[in-house]
Amino acid sequence: MILAVIPAYNEEGRIAQVVAAAKRYVDAVLVVDDGSTDRTAECAVQAGARIVSHAQNCGAGAATMTGLDAARMLGAQIVVTLDADGQHDPQEIPLLLKPIQEDKADIVFANRFGRKNIIPLVRRVFNGIGNVLTLFVTGKWVSDSQCGFKVFGPTALREIDLRMSGFEFCTEIVREAAEHKWRIEEIPTKVLYSEYTLAKGQSFANGIKTALRILLRSFLR
Amino acid sequence: MPLTPYQILAPVVSFLALAYAWNLVMRKKKSILEACFWTIFWGAIAAIALDPSILHYLSRLTGIANQENAVIVTFLGILFFMVFYLVMRLEELERKYTKIVRSLALRQSGMEGGNKEDKANKEDKGNKEFTGRA
Repeated sequence: MILAVIPAYNEEGRIAQVVAAAKRYVDAVLVVDDGSTDRTAECAVQAGARIVSHAQNCGAGAATMTGLDAARMLGAQIVVTLDADGQHDPQEIPLLLKPIQEDKADIVFANRFGRKNIIPLVRRVFNGIGNVLTLFVTGKWVSDSQCGFKVFGPTALREIDLRMSGFEFCTEIVREAAEHKWRIEEIPTKVLYSEYTLAKGQSFANGIKTALRILLRSFLR
Repeated sequence: MPLTPYQILAPVVSFLALAYAWNLVMRKKKSILEACFWTIFWGAIAAIALDPSILHYLSRLTGIANQENAVIVTFLGILFFMVFYLVMRLEELERKYTKIVRSLALRQSGMEGGNKEDKANKEDKGNKEFTGRA
């Protein structure tokens, strides 16, 4: 079974569209409602997703961990993760699934910088810093390490064990890939930035906090 | 030059501490970065014990030549350690809190015991019951 896992926090305006679009390319959609205070869970259920709800907001990493645990329980073999704000195009799911289905990779990262996408400079800088930090703590270079659009194959899904609850979990996934020697593929994808997605994204202060957490938690691990 | 008991004891303790730290790295319980930190710390203890004149060099290098400076630097070090310890405790508490929220979410969705930690806890409990350990 191919399952899409969508961590969501206060996404009532977008979640239904994302679920409906993703449903066409996977067997089931699971939305992890990360303590939303709006109607995110209700909208997701109405759109046909299965839902797991956190009682409190714990962060994107914690929501992804819950989604992966739920996927294992549901017997999924392949998991696609994507953001709930609609910045990823679900039409590209088959493209990301291909290396897993052809047994050429254990994990597939989308690469928003591999194509001519209109990405604000500040986003490029943040992601560049994220990539360098990831390289520093994992020894592995991934062109878009901080992207939420990924596919986990059966091996990765079985072996992954995340501990970081915030946005720093993206770096932890790369470390898991390096530690378990998973075969990695990177696929250039579209990104659909809008005022909404930019407003929902990480602020400068959040970026600094995430960077410090990556370093601190790498040290404490 | 005859060695004092401290000059023998300090390097031995340092060696044992380092062996333990790197053993934890091998068992994936500590990071390499952390082991490097302890290597520098225990290495310095052993080196100063074997060659106390290093302290004179450090005194010249840092400018800590008198007792007042030494007291200030020591207290700064203690404060740094306390902040570091508090951050570690906060991280640990946040991890426990997240674990509870996640377990609760899975349980409420009818997927109890789905996460790896729950499974590990259950297996551990099962092993304890099987072997009769408390």
